[in-house]
Amino acid sequence: MRTVKAFIVAALGVAVLGWSGTVTAQELVVSMWGGNWKAGAKKIIASEFTKRTGMSVRFITGGTMDRLTKAKVNKGDPESDLTITTTHVAFLYISDGLFEKLDMSLIPNAKELFPAAIRSPYHIGLYSYVYTPVFRTDAMPAGFRIRSWNDLWGPAVKGKLALPDFDPSHIIVVAALLSGADAAHWKAGIPKLKALKPSIKAFYQSDAVSQELMTSGEAPVQVMLSINGYHLIEQGMPVRIEIPKEGAVVGIDAIAINKGTKNLAAAHRFINVALDADVNRRLAEFYKAGPMNRNAKLDPELAKLPGVFTTPEQWKTQAILIPDEVRAKLLPGWKAWFTENMAGQ
Amino acid sequence: MADKARLPLAPFLVPCVVLAVVFAAALGEVLGYSFRTFIPGSLDVGGFTLENFARIGKPIYARVLRDTFWLSFLTALFTLLLSYPVAFAIVRARRPWLRGLLIVLAITPMFTGEIVRTYSWMLVLGTNGFVNALLGGLGLIAAPIQFMYRSIGVVIALVQFSMPVMIVILATALTHIDVDYEKAAANLGAPPSRVFLAVTLPLSVPGIVSGFIVIFAWTMSAFSTPQLIGGGKVLMISNMVYLQGLSSFNFPFAAVLSLVALVAALGTLSLAAPLTKAIERRAALH
Repeated sequence: MRTVKAFIVAALGVAVLGWSGTVTAQELVVSMWGGNWKAGAKKIIASEFTKRTGMSVRFITGGTMDRLTKAKVNKGDPESDLTITTTHVAFLYISDGLFEKLDMSLIPNAKELFPAAIRSPYHIGLYSYVYTPVFRTDAMPAGFRIRSWNDLWGPAVKGKLALPDFDPSHIIVVAALLSGADAAHWKAGIPKLKALKPSIKAFYQSDAVSQELMTSGEAPVQVMLSINGYHLIEQGMPVRIEIPKEGAVVGIDAIAINKGTKNLAAAHRFINVALDADVNRRLAEFYKAGPMNRNAKLDPELAKLPGVFTTPEQWKTQAILIPDEVRAKLLPGWKAWFTENMAGQ
Repeated sequence: MADKARLPLAPFLVPCVVLAVVFAAALGEVLGYSFRTFIPGSLDVGGFTLENFARIGKPIYARVLRDTFWLSFLTALFTLLLSYPVAFAIVRARRPWLRGLLIVLAITPMFTGEIVRTYSWMLVLGTNGFVNALLGGLGLIAAPIQFMYRSIGVVIALVQFSMPVMIVILATALTHIDVDYEKAAANLGAPPSRVFLAVTLPLSVPGIVSGFIVIFAWTMSAFSTPQLIGGGKVLMISNMVYLQGLSSFNFPFAAVLSLVALVAALGTLSLAAPLTKAIERRAALH
């Protein structure tokens, strides 16, 4: 009996000590995608932040929309202090009051950013990439190139193309542009979109499925996120990333502070570290993306890569930009139309 | 004789009552959402509307519902045809080691997750997958057969996924058939095939009907298998709910699709008892 009592006391003591340790440890929690995305943010931003502040960083991961759903459910008592997400989805967070208004006086590095980086008073761009045609050179005819988005409608691509079904905005806006219209007047591109159906082999629901389709050769031509394309190249896959003459659809991943965070000052500091010229450079080099800090000088070989925008000239001539608010408001209608008219056999 | 102390029933009912209340509340929320207006660009919903129900009448949704029923029917049918011999072998195996081996082979797939199994099927059924490589290597096909992103691939994967459950249901039904009936038929001169068709099969009808309906209703809610193997080309109702709800944040319309799927599944399950009775009556007349 004495032994049992001693054991219970000891166990309680360990629990109290452990609990005390949990309460007193300072920790910042960041919501992010997993895999390569988390790896970059952890290795470059989080480690630098911890080095400068002594505060540890923990990541919680998930898909874009899954994390938004969780944030809405946990409104007022967020699971994380910061969120990194795509800039137009951040608009949905903002519309639901899920982000804190940023105190720019606590983010001095924001003064060094490209204008496109300041997305709103609530979120700031970290790096840019493009959604663009990508193909396996060993699965397409010798000499095959995609010099224009129109090439996706060509006979060589028939039954070989994969598109994202979670966000059809890229192909919808491209079809509108090819039809002489723009994002807001996208319906002008409907005949063009319907004409693309013979090219489509499959739709992918996530980065992982996209990469699997490319790896297995099921869909050797894709409208793919450039960062994923470079990830495949690093793994030894013979993949070519093209920037068509009309440009590529730009994506920007942005960072914001969740409303209700108990670490407001630390969260601002985290953002400032992420936007530091050297940190932003290393992050862009890791992902093969475009930095948002104009003083982040990338390795010249990297800066030459398709989809890595480092100069105002590139932003002007190669970037197809969809305004966040237009995209956030039209995206549900685009998805509904896409599901009803393009998906299915 | 003193009355034996009886265990009070109420404490045992509390967990299921709590679950039932929570489930009913969640369903009520889904029903409520189905009558609300979707606001593009916002996570909030608007006022009362019947627009969501009107939209369900579009041809695409009728087609998805029809495809869901058809794929569920095919899955249940082929699962039944493939599972019955396995269940029969398990129940009638004379050697315990053989019975044990068959049980392990039958139910082991259940211990691997659905996603793992689906990804495995993608490797097997792919254009450059195991099946095409084997058939091509044997000279049986000149070009790869397209399984992926087609209904056939989805059904194959769903059948393999459903077989362990069907085998358990059928084996349970077959276990309850008294072997003396079969022996009596054999003693009266019936060959094994006649014994099976006239005695075993009719007596296993309740298990067949239960298994068929369970797999049918279960398959109607299939998501990850049609999502990955269908590749957006084969859409079942759950995929549509995902595309409209979690992907587009059109929760009101996703709620309507969910209710339609729920009503269809419940309607199918409600057929179990009358169908079983009808088949048993027919068998008795013979």
